[in-house]
Amino acid sequence: MVAATARSRKPVHVRRLLIQALIVMAIVMIVWSTYTTAQTNLNALGITGGYAFLERATGWSYSFSLLPRSVDDTYLRTLTIGFVNTLFLGTLCIVLSTIFGFIVGSIRDSSNLALQTIASVYVQLFRNLPLILQLVFWYAVFIHLPGQRQAYSLGDAVFFSNRGLMLPALNISGQMALIVLLGSIALGVVLLFARMPAVRALGVWAAGTALAITASVLVFVPEGEPVVSVPALKGLRFQGGMQMTIELVAMIVAIVLYSSAYIAEVVRGGLAEVPRGLVEAGQALGLRNRTIWSRIKLPMALRSIVPPLGNQWIFVMKATTIGVAIGFSDLFMIVSTSLTQTGQTLELIAILMGAFVLINFALAQLVDLINCRMQLKAH
Amino acid sequence: MLKTLGKFAIATLAASVPVMAAAADPAPTTQKIIDRGTLLCTGHNGSFFGFVEVNDRNEWKGLDIDMCRGLATAILGDPNKAQIVPLSWAQRFPALQSGDVDLIIKATTWTMGRDTELGLQFSIPYFLGAAQFMAHAELGVTEAAELDGGTICVEAGTTIERIAGDFLSSNNIEHTMVSYEKGAELRAAYLAKRCDAFAGWGPNLAVIRATEVDDSGAHVILSDQLSTDPISVAMRQGDEEFVDLVNYLIAALIKAEELGITSENVDEIAADPPSTTVARLLGSDPGMGERLGLRDTWAREVIAEIGNFGQMYDRNLGKDSPYKLPRGLNALWKDGGVLYTPIID
Repeated sequence: MVAATARSRKPVHVRRLLIQALIVMAIVMIVWSTYTTAQTNLNALGITGGYAFLERATGWSYSFSLLPRSVDDTYLRTLTIGFVNTLFLGTLCIVLSTIFGFIVGSIRDSSNLALQTIASVYVQLFRNLPLILQLVFWYAVFIHLPGQRQAYSLGDAVFFSNRGLMLPALNISGQMALIVLLGSIALGVVLLFARMPAVRALGVWAAGTALAITASVLVFVPEGEPVVSVPALKGLRFQGGMQMTIELVAMIVAIVLYSSAYIAEVVRGGLAEVPRGLVEAGQALGLRNRTIWSRIKLPMALRSIVPPLGNQWIFVMKATTIGVAIGFSDLFMIVSTSLTQTGQTLELIAILMGAFVLINFALAQLVDLINCRMQLKAH
Repeated sequence: MLKTLGKFAIATLAASVPVMAAAADPAPTTQKIIDRGTLLCTGHNGSFFGFVEVNDRNEWKGLDIDMCRGLATAILGDPNKAQIVPLSWAQRFPALQSGDVDLIIKATTWTMGRDTELGLQFSIPYFLGAAQFMAHAELGVTEAAELDGGTICVEAGTTIERIAGDFLSSNNIEHTMVSYEKGAELRAAYLAKRCDAFAGWGPNLAVIRATEVDDSGAHVILSDQLSTDPISVAMRQGDEEFVDLVNYLIAALIKAEELGITSENVDEIAADPPSTTVARLLGSDPGMGERLGLRDTWAREVIAEIGNFGQMYDRNLGKDSPYKLPRGLNALWKDGGVLYTPIID
């Protein structure tokens, strides 16, 4: 009986393997023939292919970079800067729009009618207008702000003009700040893995980040210079401090306002799914509304919020590609400019696709991880 | 942009068999145009004033559009058979390579990179321009060195972008460069004072200052000439006869100006040509057409439709246009400019 089952299973097993092998082979064949055909046709058109151009200096510049840049940079470095810009903008927008989205979503779920109406109007307005339109609108508004000599200022330390938002910052290089930021994110991910209670994990993360900042200040602030650098107008531009170009500000405002509206809906949906009985049980115990929200509703809701929230995060990453409309140098804009300057269309598009697959795959993994952490432990 | 890229990818990937067959026995571009019955030229996504612009009746006009209409007349006998495909700067090369357009006549600079790596070939130059900076007059700058620390706006993907970057860095002028995909966005950002200066092509800057700003005194064009750009027609590699045709179209337009042949007097002169050169040029004597696979009278028809080079210039950029751009270097050699032609024998 047992032997008979094993024998009848084997051919099925072999057949499945064979089918899978055939599919893999077919895919390999398609990819290979696409590649050789492209190669042949590019040769016929007299276009030089390959990635040799990555080592060449670009000879052009762009609006925003966290790392030092010059027109003598190679294409490789320029594309890397574009990648870092996209990652930076995407991460910032994800964090901000998640926070803002949670606030708006919770308000949508609240019992205060006035607040609820405002939140509803916000969601309907920003969700239903195309993102690119909103971006162009905000950019048009921002570049018509007063020039830098008439900049709005807050205590002569924060300046807002049509050139950007100038903030006081620690006197360390952008590169160093980026390393600290990446370290802080890495620590956060590691803590997600280490099954530590949420409050303690948050504490460890805050302490670690503070330590990294202090260390970088102690080691990297040049001797005899102040720890905090304050922006000041010198000649044609502001110097010192942290300078967020107006393109970056417009990108953040547009993307955050747009995707917060979506996240708010995800959050509202999640909160609405929490069984009424649980809330009523909390009320019966005499818990305050705030406690019910933070101890019962939110933890329960998070389980249904996280998966669609992950989709939204991936969307935000991809939304950074609209920077090209206002001259923000994200990866797409850098690729698009490189493409005209070098003519290496297929290679650059491959790089662009590879980079986004990489970012969004990593993001999807992160969301999976959070999702695992969120699962009810007893089940 | 993506559409064109997609088409380019499809054209290079999917159509392997026909393309390879075609490569073995290249059908000249001219034949393709005749079979199609229209000439596909590059337009612009907006207006590039004086060269490729849309007027208030939604018709294309400009020096480059006239060149295209001239070529349509030479090949198809009718200037209205020129079809203008609107393309951004970034789209023009993929569009040419994928066959969306037959050639690029769009203030395009002849560069070595384009000539070799992009698989293009260029006609003889028909215009000479220089990259320059225009700045807000209130900054009090007169030369580029004073832009130190400033923000410079440019159009993304153009030669100006590289020329300006190279100029500023080799002169150690600290700057931030902001690049825009569209000319309209660039102009809006400059006028809103997002940037201190605007790196552009001299003729174009002059045109913008003359027509697009409320107070032309509020803007100065800085004295530095960053480059000398020869403007040529770009075509796909591998069809030399088509390049010949375009070259001799340009030559005929310049020669006509040199010989005093205009759209008004061309028929008169053709009926009674004063010299054998004129007789051959206008097709009164045979020889002009056969060598290019066209009608003998093609140059005469072109001049009757669009005039000689001087007339084209005056109408689109010069004294009869709103821009009043002086001929400068773009005058005939005998008038102190740099325009001359091969010998038409």
